[in-house]
Amino acid sequence: MDLSRRHFIEAGMGASLAGAVGVSFGLSASAKANSMPAWHLGYANAPAGGFDPAPMKLVFGTPPSDLKGSLYRNGPAHFSYGDEYASHWFDGDGLIHRIAIEDGQAVHQARFVETRKRREEQAAQTFLAPGFGTLGDESYYVESADDTNAANTSVLMVDGELLALWEAGSAFSMNPETLETKGPKTWRDDLKGMPFLAHPKVEPDGRVWNLAVGGSRVGIYRIGTNGALEDFGLVNIGRAAYIHDWTMSERHLIILVQPWINESLRPPVVAGFEWQPQHGLQMLIVDKDDFSNQRWTQAPARMFFHTGSAWEESDGTIKFDVSFYKEPILGVGGGAAEIRGEWDQSYFSEEGVLTLVEIPPQGDAKLIETGIIGEFPQVDPRFRGKSRNLVALASGASNTRPGSTTLAVHNWTSGETKAFDFGDNRIVEEFLFVPKSGGQSDLESWLVGPVLNIKAGVREICVFDAAHVDDGPVCIWQAEYSWPLGFHGTWA
Amino acid sequence: MTRLTSLTAIVAVACMITPVANAADLTVNVENIAQTKGTIMLGLFDQATYNGDGAVNGASLKVEGTSVTAEFEGLEPGEYAVRLYHDVNDDGEMNTNPFGMPTEPFAFSNDAKGRFGPAKWDAAKFVVEADGTTHTITMN
Repeated sequence: MDLSRRHFIEAGMGASLAGAVGVSFGLSASAKANSMPAWHLGYANAPAGGFDPAPMKLVFGTPPSDLKGSLYRNGPAHFSYGDEYASHWFDGDGLIHRIAIEDGQAVHQARFVETRKRREEQAAQTFLAPGFGTLGDESYYVESADDTNAANTSVLMVDGELLALWEAGSAFSMNPETLETKGPKTWRDDLKGMPFLAHPKVEPDGRVWNLAVGGSRVGIYRIGTNGALEDFGLVNIGRAAYIHDWTMSERHLIILVQPWINESLRPPVVAGFEWQPQHGLQMLIVDKDDFSNQRWTQAPARMFFHTGSAWEESDGTIKFDVSFYKEPILGVGGGAAEIRGEWDQSYFSEEGVLTLVEIPPQGDAKLIETGIIGEFPQVDPRFRGKSRNLVALASGASNTRPGSTTLAVHNWTSGETKAFDFGDNRIVEEFLFVPKSGGQSDLESWLVGPVLNIKAGVREICVFDAAHVDDGPVCIWQAEYSWPLGFHGTWA
Repeated sequence: MTRLTSLTAIVAVACMITPVANAADLTVNVENIAQTKGTIMLGLFDQATYNGDGAVNGASLKVEGTSVTAEFEGLEPGEYAVRLYHDVNDDGEMNTNPFGMPTEPFAFSNDAKGRFGPAKWDAAKFVVEADGTTHTITMN
């Protein structure tokens, strides 16, 4: 942590911050009018039409000259119709962002994914579709999973096609330039309407693996670099566990069957899950070359949302990093109250702990807990499935508001953790690794991600040197407006 | 979730039923068919058969445009409902994905829709009058 550095950034940005506050509009203005706490900007509606392309202002540092590409992100961005609030954060309509960075300039734009849920709720100006935490209106027909698809969780770029991802329905194909919605993606005629998880795993060469979760049955997609489906298979995981993410090494798929089990498929989905720690955390290891070649291992009961990535040692030991909770954190308050501007630290009594899981060639898995609190673990895309040094996390917690305060990077090789604490005024989201030009190691990469500046009521995109995050941001671009907190992104 | 897997069998059986003489006629128009190929497999049900294994009648209609028409003669006047699917690949089955969700278009009379299952009888039922009835279903 480097408070002095943070304060220096605040001071250095003082003039522009004042300007930004003066011209801020839309979200920040409406939130203030409603007497919501400043952090509620993260859960306020985005404009229905999204955001037209608008340059962001460089307010700190010098952008790396080799940083060229687009940060695409997805997240729920519509939470209220009049005085009526969404039942859960996870059920907000997906807003796809593109922050295009080139020649030191950053341009932001965003569009909602035009799902049926989005279209009909906007027309009726009320909530209709059932969802993760939403019962839904009886008048809203549901004939397929895509009738409830919020398309709000992540994005994937494969062979130039941008996909907006949810987890219980189809991916939605989007125009990567204009962000206009094309429609649900069907990988093969016989797979129409199959779920496509929001956490596909992309090998360094671009091949994509993903899961379709349907109770205790799990489908496995293998998608070539040309975007065509190469293979699809089914495995049985024994229980209808909550599966939001999974992990993959060079040779194996590792499906974590956490003991948070769905006992009822009726909406709201979250109400159907039961914590059954007596089952422990079971893990199915599947050979990527032969899905029938499987083995199970287990560990003490843990709940999780997100993994980093896996790798294999020469003796066959599989290791992966993951943010583990001792029990489920969703349900009572978390995810529902924030939308209404309510927040209590007790909603998050359980915090995710960065943990290394070691699966020996035979026998039970071992958990090595780092004590580092964090979520949204990310690794360098060049080393997915391979041995590497770094994992980056949104870390730290505030006493005054939801969300992370800190960008942390842990080095598994050295055991060292470096971090930059943004303080209470900025909510830190997922940061992505972007390889430096010519770099060979994950120590030679940038970290690019968004923060919500709740003091100024605006959004910022920050760049860090992944090996030296404790030095603070390399540069910061600032938008003239805010947008809601999101989930996941990709760099393309 | 929605399953119409038994509809093929229902339609096959229903087609063998001989119409009752001197009773009502029904014309069912199916419009807005997206793909000009395959067959519309249509089952006609009364309340007793709607959730069961047998239809009171049925039709197998070759798709050569965007609409097809089924004619039923000699029906007992009263309440009926239609369940149909578009057998796009003409394999005689309503195809589903590996999780059992239909991958071929389907519809119900009154353009009724289901909520985590087929449309309910009350939503799909319509009256066949003694002097004849025409009912139109619009695919989407």
